[in-house]
Amino acid sequence: MPSLQVEGMTHYFGGLRAVHGYDLRVEPGQIRGLIGPNGAGKTTIFNLVTGRYTPTEGRITLEGEEITGLEPHKIASKGLGRTYQNLRLWRHMTVLEHVKLARYSKIGYGLVGAFFGTSRRHREEAEIEERANTLLELVGARHFADQVVTSLPYGAQRRVELARALATEPKILLLDEPTAGMNLEELVQMMDIVRRIHDELGLAIFLIEHRMKIVMELCDVIQTLVFGQVIAEGTPNEIQRNPAVIDAYLGKDVVT
Amino acid sequence: MIFFQNLVNALQLGSFYALIALGYSMVYGVLMLFNFAHGDVFMVGAYIGFLVSTGLLTLANLGAVALPTWLILALTIILAMFLTSFVGMLVERVGYRPLRGAPRASAAISGLMIGIFLETFVLWLGGPKRRSFPALIESTTYELGGVIVTNKKIVIVLVSMLLMLALHLFVRRTKWGMAMRAMAYDYVVVPLMGVPLNTIAALTFGLGSALAAAAGVFFGIAYPVLDPYMGIRYGWKAFVAAILGGRGSVLGAALAGFMLGFIEIFVAWIFPSTWRDLIAYSIILLILTLRPHGFFGEPYSAQLRL
Amino acid sequence: MGVESGAIPVKAGRMGSLVSKARAWYSGVPLLGWLLGVLVAVALEHILGRRVARALGMSKEPVLFGFVTMLRDPALLPSAVLYVLLIYLLPIAAVARLTAQLTNRLAATLLSLSSGVSSAVHLGLIYGALHLWSDLSDYRLLLVRLTLIAIMVTLSLNLVNGYMGEFSCSHPGFMALGAYTASVFTVILFVDDRVFGAPLLALPPLLGQFVFPIALILGGVVAALGALLVAVPSFRTRGDYLAIVSLAFMFIVKSLIENLEIVGGPRGLQGQPDWANLPTVFLWAVACIWIINNFVRSTLGKALNAVRDGEMAANAMTVDTRRTKMVAFLFAAFWAGVAGGLFAHVLRYVNPGTFDLKKLAEVLAMVYLGGLNSVMGSIVGAVGFNLLSEALRPLQIIKWMIIPVLLILVMIFRPTGLIAFREFDVQELIRPKGEPQQH
Repeated sequence: MPSLQVEGMTHYFGGLRAVHGYDLRVEPGQIRGLIGPNGAGKTTIFNLVTGRYTPTEGRITLEGEEITGLEPHKIASKGLGRTYQNLRLWRHMTVLEHVKLARYSKIGYGLVGAFFGTSRRHREEAEIEERANTLLELVGARHFADQVVTSLPYGAQRRVELARALATEPKILLLDEPTAGMNLEELVQMMDIVRRIHDELGLAIFLIEHRMKIVMELCDVIQTLVFGQVIAEGTPNEIQRNPAVIDAYLGKDVVT
Repeated sequence: MIFFQNLVNALQLGSFYALIALGYSMVYGVLMLFNFAHGDVFMVGAYIGFLVSTGLLTLANLGAVALPTWLILALTIILAMFLTSFVGMLVERVGYRPLRGAPRASAAISGLMIGIFLETFVLWLGGPKRRSFPALIESTTYELGGVIVTNKKIVIVLVSMLLMLALHLFVRRTKWGMAMRAMAYDYVVVPLMGVPLNTIAALTFGLGSALAAAAGVFFGIAYPVLDPYMGIRYGWKAFVAAILGGRGSVLGAALAGFMLGFIEIFVAWIFPSTWRDLIAYSIILLILTLRPHGFFGEPYSAQLRL
Repeated sequence: MGVESGAIPVKAGRMGSLVSKARAWYSGVPLLGWLLGVLVAVALEHILGRRVARALGMSKEPVLFGFVTMLRDPALLPSAVLYVLLIYLLPIAAVARLTAQLTNRLAATLLSLSSGVSSAVHLGLIYGALHLWSDLSDYRLLLVRLTLIAIMVTLSLNLVNGYMGEFSCSHPGFMALGAYTASVFTVILFVDDRVFGAPLLALPPLLGQFVFPIALILGGVVAALGALLVAVPSFRTRGDYLAIVSLAFMFIVKSLIENLEIVGGPRGLQGQPDWANLPTVFLWAVACIWIINNFVRSTLGKALNAVRDGEMAANAMTVDTRRTKMVAFLFAAFWAGVAGGLFAHVLRYVNPGTFDLKKLAEVLAMVYLGGLNSVMGSIVGAVGFNLLSEALRPLQIIKWMIIPVLLILVMIFRPTGLIAFREFDVQELIRPKGEPQQH
């Protein structure tokens, strides 16, 4: 059973067709890449899959269970974690609080526990905190735990966002340009972390990326999207040699 | 017949609400701020009108200058608008400009406090006693098929509409009006394009306050008593009307103002008058529930951010 | 000029070193020590206050730390200052410092028993001080109770305007709902009233104390139901929507009550039983602070902050944002309703005119003065505002020019309030301060 499957997804914004007949099949443990020029609809696909928009047509399943049209928080708690292209962190909250909060749907103590501070609540909060710290360790941000997130360097903020997405216990992780705006050092660190997550947690990963080198190195299978349509799909090698891709996209990037 | 009589009254009351609502709506539209001091600016405008007209009348009576009554009326309106626009700009300068980087809610609180200050200031200067506004228009009554219309009402409604038209043209046709609309469209980019934010903000507050002053003078002419609490009595309703009209929509705010006037007058006609607020606000709530963005507004995308 | 600019740093330096010396001197005093000092001072006032005041030329002990006395009769300024120094400041300073060792050991022992026991002892001391202080005049008793209620209202509004980042204006409306519901309940059941007739349940007065919580909770529940009316349309869309809907709601509630002749219409409702005494109000205020603080420090409660700082991301991180907002708003309304019920029973009279724009301005002022997203901020805001408002009362109308100016200044220099974005950590507060703690 695929981790994530999308069949025949089409989406219109008003009269504008943003995504057309999109299919995707991510196998467990696979790393998939989505590339394409600006405005091709890559982030729109993420937003459709995560439930921020409901697709005009098509069907999305997560480990065989249909999630089309569900609210984002329901989809997320069923096992779909994501990060954003431009960070969406909570400016007044600490790093630890970010990661803890992503366990919201798994909290069992309820309002009674929240109001009266029952022993069950203390136990659960301690568990959540321990888990959060483990994840922060994994992304190398443990030492920032008590800092407000806006005081962190950019690369660290990205890693916190990653840890937060992992805390939702995803079956598949959607990364929207995980290395955008990073310097070389931060980039290497990030790639390392993504690999480690993949190896240690066995997660399926679906990522949008602009830097070819990264996509080529990380991904098993890559899709190329142009004007909301997939024009090519294949292994990095195949994609690199595909004339349509070179024409539409790689042509101008090969130089850099 | 009673219906038409009420219609005339509603038009007059609606004029006040519309003129005040425009000030709220402009500030909200252009700067995305709640100007909670605006109701009290209306009150201050009425008092300024009172002072100006009393002064002019005294001069005329002393024979110092020969002023026909119509000229006194015109001068009162113009001077009150002019002077009150400075009050509005002062409100912006003191209560809003220093808070530009701050959360919008903090600016709203600061505005609220300025309103309380203005109210208390007038109360302190003038005492709690109600002031009767001098009669600037010799009252003449016309009867049209059983409906009684006074010349006061005609002047008030007509001049109000003229002012609203003037504002509309200003916003649509002039460079400054364009800049204001551009600001409403994109708060961040416009200052970068060389439109001075401070000037626009002052202009927005000034214009809105001038209109509120006109409303204040008309109010004084129509119900010739003023008191320091008239600002909160009418201002908050006009504020809700402004929102009902839609964010930053001149036409919407004016229409909503008139609608509020109609609701109030007709509720008082059909039901006991104590039900006025209850029913008026319930209708407003209902409309807002059905049309969350008001009559002509865009969706409220922004929020009072921290 | 030259002399002055040279003199100022020296003076500032001396002052600075004095302050830092005092701070060092007192850094070892735990909260328990301070509370003990306050209790001693208040007890001292009880015993000696009148005599000291007379000796200083005042007719009786100054009612509010000398402020009212000074403003009424500026000639008494030195006496008032001296009184405050002799009765309050010196004894507190002395007791706090001298007993530091003892209170530290005591605090440590209490904490080792359990933090619950330690908190209870601290609260007991606070209550004792408030009791003794307010025992000296009815005015103080009223002020203390109204301030405690103000804390409840402020804190519950902070939940919406601070923690959740929306702008709600309907708190006076929720208070009114609570006040009237609780009053109608107690008056119908237990009071021989002109309108409602003989009490339905003739209870011995002592038992009333046990029924009172039911009345208050009922008031809170009705307020929360009212909040549902505001929340359902408001939370469909984001933004300033709640501000307007809640404002309209406040006017509707006020107008509705004014038109309900059965509860007295605009004249109001009176004759509430005298159940809201100091211990009752104190316990409710403590419960309110404790429960709300528990909530906002839990991960469920932190979801409010996430909704405020980025609703979309919160939703994508499994947070049911709609439910979160609803729960918080209803919860806040519940506490406003309970506070309203207490308010009506403290004054033993309630009228719809109380719950209008002036109340709204007051509540908003307390929230933004004290600080957003902060329990301590709300306590400071409510206490500060009430003390200030009472202290300036002799100035009459000018008071309402001074308070707005002060608040505008606070907004300019601290736009989110005096103590914003601070966790209220009871454990940290009540720990012994013997040696500096490792961090």
